[in-house]
Amino acid sequence: MSDSRRRSKGSQEETAGTSNGLGGRNRSERACDMGDEDDTGAGPSAISDEDDDPTRRREIRSKYRDLINQVQQNREDMLNPANNKLTDVLEEANKLFANVRQAREAALDAQLLVLATDLGKEKASQLHAEGSAFDPSAFAEHLLSFMGLNRLEDESGQDGNLEGYLPQSAWQRLAKRSEYCFKTAPSFHYILGSFLAEPPPPRQRVERQRKAPSKEAKRMMPTQLKKMEESNQEATEREVERILGCLQKYFADDPEEPISYYEFVIDPNSFSRTVENIFHMSFLIRDGLVKMNLDKYGLPCIAPVEEGEVELGGAAVRNQCVISINQKSWREIIEAFDIKGAMIPPPEVLSQ
Amino acid sequence: MSIHFVSVSCVYYSQGSIAMSQKKKAVSASQNKTQRRSQVCLDEDDEDAHFSQITSSQVQRAREHFTPVQIDRKVAEVVQFILIKDQKKIPIRRADIGKHVIKEYKGIYTEIMNRVCRTFEQVFGLQLVEIDPKNHIYILINKLEPIHGEPVSMRPGNPKTGLLFVILSVIFMKGGVIKENLVWNTLKKLRVDPGEKHDEFGDVKKVVTDEFVRQKYLEYVKIPHTEPVEYEFRWGLRAEKEVSKLKLLEFVGELFGQDPQSWTQQFREASTAETSSQRT
Repeated sequence: MSDSRRRSKGSQEETAGTSNGLGGRNRSERACDMGDEDDTGAGPSAISDEDDDPTRRREIRSKYRDLINQVQQNREDMLNPANNKLTDVLEEANKLFANVRQAREAALDAQLLVLATDLGKEKASQLHAEGSAFDPSAFAEHLLSFMGLNRLEDESGQDGNLEGYLPQSAWQRLAKRSEYCFKTAPSFHYILGSFLAEPPPPRQRVERQRKAPSKEAKRMMPTQLKKMEESNQEATEREVERILGCLQKYFADDPEEPISYYEFVIDPNSFSRTVENIFHMSFLIRDGLVKMNLDKYGLPCIAPVEEGEVELGGAAVRNQCVISINQKSWREIIEAFDIKGAMIPPPEVLSQ
Repeated sequence: MSIHFVSVSCVYYSQGSIAMSQKKKAVSASQNKTQRRSQVCLDEDDEDAHFSQITSSQVQRAREHFTPVQIDRKVAEVVQFILIKDQKKIPIRRADIGKHVIKEYKGIYTEIMNRVCRTFEQVFGLQLVEIDPKNHIYILINKLEPIHGEPVSMRPGNPKTGLLFVILSVIFMKGGVIKENLVWNTLKKLRVDPGEKHDEFGDVKKVVTDEFVRQKYLEYVKIPHTEPVEYEFRWGLRAEKEVSKLKLLEFVGELFGQDPQSWTQQFREASTAETSSQRT
């Protein structure tokens, strides 16, 4: 409508529509209407004096700005389908436009037109030719009821939905029901979870703790073992020599009579010492310091080897045998030989 | 391998138009078949420069180059990639699939994607849907319809689903576009204030204007010529494919105690959307 008016007005306002700014100036090559010296009104002869009246123009501009503000501030009101306020504004603009002569005012008119058309478009989109309307406030009310709102008994009419207690599971309940509307793909997750990086560090710490004492223990061990080994060897040697000494003493008393092996080694008071005696005896025999032979009864006898015999013994055929004894045999022998006491006295210094 | 392809494509560039048209002819037959079979999950008219310069001879070479076992594994990798990417519900870009998974198997991209689609449908009951044919963006949706009376999932409901439902309903019932103020005002009535931190949703404004928008459930668009700037909400591309307007209308009807058909325009739109989605 403003457009047709514009055309009917003539060529002076042609270029008006381009600028949207308030009081924007349109500098164009055309000499006639684009005066930047509005208020002085000194323009070419194309503009008549009454069109150029600065006061009047100011008035028009101010009215346009009022209209623009009105539209912007009361946007919601304008959109309300119940009234025709938008149409009223447009009619006002039309009336104002009748007096517009120059571009600056026309620019304001154009700006107002843009706003009005936007509103018009929105208002049109609100129209529903058929079917019932949809009220978002009512929708909210129904949703609250669905979510389980406990309304207080003495609620007032307006603030109804700010009163009342909404339970914790309210949104959950809504979500569960809303899910049906969605074809959401379930999110992929491993059923048993994935490996976490956390367990290994504690294990390492435990291992380190365990390792530390064991290393120390190992370090201690060698020294102990060394001691034991030395003492063991020494003890064995000493013991072997002692036994040899005993044997030689017995033999010295009665050189011709061989000593019964069993009578010599067995200690009727201690099985373990018996075994030790047998053990030590075997060294003496191995080293050729003691000889063993069977007497006429078939029982083993031992006798120390003379000095001279040693070499002979070295060249002679050596026999090996394995002697074993258990507690039962030990007791049988004690009984059979009627051994009352140990021929080898037990060592005075017991092992540490 | 990628450098190789670049140099090869340079060589082919001069013959590019011939080669591409040849490829298009060769592929068009199979393309019709796949489109008929399932939802469009592959595309041939790509502006994606990464893929547009693959010639048919390159495709042939690629197919011969890889063993069936290797191709099987590549298909499985793409399936896994998409499943993991879908966890956050952010749509997946084809360029990402190409860059991170397919890589040198680019030549047989089409074949791989066909098999990927089939795997999703037959093994998982999911559908790989291209929501943006221009930018090649995919989402995964459930192929199976939820049955009323039976729970959709064993997990407790995500409250954000409820929030999203409210917003989508208001937009839909109001014709498809609404100003943001309508959303905020409605939410305020539900005790969800975008200006305050909410117990369940936290920063509501961020969830609605950022998270839901990135997931493509909503579109948050500036309204032109507004001073100060105002925004409007629309349904996003994901919502169009994933949400049943008919079921949504049914629930709204339940809440109001009204027959869904009493909203004739919305009902018509919902029915149309339902039949068109069933057709694909």
